[in-house]
Amino acid sequence: MLPEIWQGTDAGGLLVIQDSASYSGRHLLKSFINAALTREEDIHVIGFDVSEDELRNGLKESTTQRLHFHNAFTDPLGWTDHPAFTVRQFNLEEITHLVKQTSHAKAATLVIDSLSWILRHVSPSIVCKTLQQLKKGGAVRTIIGLLHADMHQRGTVGSVCHLATSVITVVPGINGDEAVAKITKRSKSGKVMQDEEIFTIKEDLTIIVQSKSSQTGLKHPHTEEQEADPAANLTFNLRLSDTEREAKEKLALPFVFSKEKKTALLHSGLGSGRILYEPDANDDYDQEDPDDDLDV
Amino acid sequence: MAAPVESVTKHPAERSPFTTTSFQKKTRSKLISIPGTRPSVQNGQLLVSTGVTSLDFLLGGGLAVGTVLLIEEDRYDSYSRMILKYFLAEGVVCRHELFVGAAQDNPDDILQELPSPILDDVAIHKPAEQPQLSREPQDSLDAMKIAWRYQHLPKVQSALASSSRFGHYYDVSKMMEAEIRQAAKCHRFYLPEHPTQSSTTRSPVLESYSALLKSLQEVIHKEGFAVAASMSKSRNILRIGLHSLGSALWGDDLSCHDNPAHCHSLTTFLYGLRALLRSSLAVAVVTVPSYLIQDRALMGSITRLCDNAIALESFKGSERETNPLYKDYHGLLHVRQVPHLNCLASQLPDHKDLAFKLKRKQFTIETLSLA
Repeated sequence: MLPEIWQGTDAGGLLVIQDSASYSGRHLLKSFINAALTREEDIHVIGFDVSEDELRNGLKESTTQRLHFHNAFTDPLGWTDHPAFTVRQFNLEEITHLVKQTSHAKAATLVIDSLSWILRHVSPSIVCKTLQQLKKGGAVRTIIGLLHADMHQRGTVGSVCHLATSVITVVPGINGDEAVAKITKRSKSGKVMQDEEIFTIKEDLTIIVQSKSSQTGLKHPHTEEQEADPAANLTFNLRLSDTEREAKEKLALPFVFSKEKKTALLHSGLGSGRILYEPDANDDYDQEDPDDDLDV
Repeated sequence: MAAPVESVTKHPAERSPFTTTSFQKKTRSKLISIPGTRPSVQNGQLLVSTGVTSLDFLLGGGLAVGTVLLIEEDRYDSYSRMILKYFLAEGVVCRHELFVGAAQDNPDDILQELPSPILDDVAIHKPAEQPQLSREPQDSLDAMKIAWRYQHLPKVQSALASSSRFGHYYDVSKMMEAEIRQAAKCHRFYLPEHPTQSSTTRSPVLESYSALLKSLQEVIHKEGFAVAASMSKSRNILRIGLHSLGSALWGDDLSCHDNPAHCHSLTTFLYGLRALLRSSLAVAVVTVPSYLIQDRALMGSITRLCDNAIALESFKGSERETNPLYKDYHGLLHVRQVPHLNCLASQLPDHKDLAFKLKRKQFTIETLSLA
């Protein structure tokens, strides 16, 4: 599933990349940005974690004019007089304003690097509300957010991922430059798809998906059990060959009627049988049945 | 105390198109006859169906009017949302009024997704077929070689439904048709449409929850669902479905922090909701994302404040998915609480290991058997 997300075939919604201290998700984020730039999409990056130079490093030079970097790295909390972008500005009006200023007619992609910075300084319920408004509103088409899962409480991470359309959790792989991505995607109909893939990111920021992750020691290796065939290994033969099966079908069973009699009986008996009851003198036919208000 | 069953002038029972029997119950005692409800055999409370017949059976026949059912959501909110939709669809079919409150999705979207009811439950006798090709009667006769007398009889329905038409079955692959849905009256509460001003006074209830509670109170009083209201017009039941209370989108940090600042707002809301429901002809189903709430004591008090509570645990994404024991099911269902209304002891379900499976035409809940 990683190649589809990377190529942006199913864009739209909120994609959250969850990483931890052992493996940074920024490489994956940069490869997504690169792929989107190659597709000639407008990208707005709100950078809290790293500076603009560091983010632009490695991206193809020819396409970088579509990348609009909003500098939240130098002064995110507004300590100087003229901050470029602060955490307080993370709400629907400001972001829509930002995107509409520099973007053309096409809907843009918003990349937030990283959501953790915002969650440290703004209450998670407000962040979730803003993300939900951005998802529903028309200003941006796709939102990609990087979330450092080990920086927050489990409930916070869970709440943000609950809103997301897709969540990619990256952990380091067994070999040096490999990583394992666990992808959960929620489709519009409510179906949830999950996948686990091993990938590497090359120098030019393309993703090579190695293979599906094999069962590691954490999961029990489930052996496939063959259904035991009960008719095997017997001293007598319980199976039927084809000719024997045909002969069996042809056998006329006793008490079987011919086809004409069957149809005659079937078509005449459409109604069910009727019971004609004439109460006798000895029968106790009481209209008022004491059991009739039982509902079971 | 739940809404007492009181005597009203008897109204002629409505022949809704969904009743299939021509038998009319002889009501000798004067009970409220509201379509879609029936009195419980255990304690005489008025019950409504949740839309899922297996769940009705677990809860002791149905959901008592005036109570709250809490559903602890599964991880991706697929099955709890499905049960909420069944509940609302049952309300449409029984011609009850609906109230949908949500913060994440627009209530109109939830109402669009209701499953369509399976209407032709009754066995229909197919008349003698039109003259077909000569091959076909032969094939149809050969369909049953030995039991050929039963060929033209319709297939027997599974015996889950009780004799009266209390619960209905729904086909989840089809959406409910617009005509049926629009015939039902729906009240909506969509949180983004109610902008809340942060008040300076620290009230125990969040503004979002108090707005929801006020809206509910208005609807109940205006539309005459309060038990004390005048008996002049015919009574109906209000079905309240509240989606994902306690999630971050309601402004609550119950699911975000381990020590939430608003730890009492959801519990206060549920207390107020239950008080409101006890004096009205309404039923509520509330879903809560309990897997996000880290404080187990708080989750316990939320469970205690609702009358019925079940928890859904889906196998999707957990290691149980590959366990051969669970391969027939979609998840486990835990009954956290059963109500004891006007009685000392409650009807506990016999079996504690329950698993559920969402099939196309039925949401089945079965006991997990080891075989």
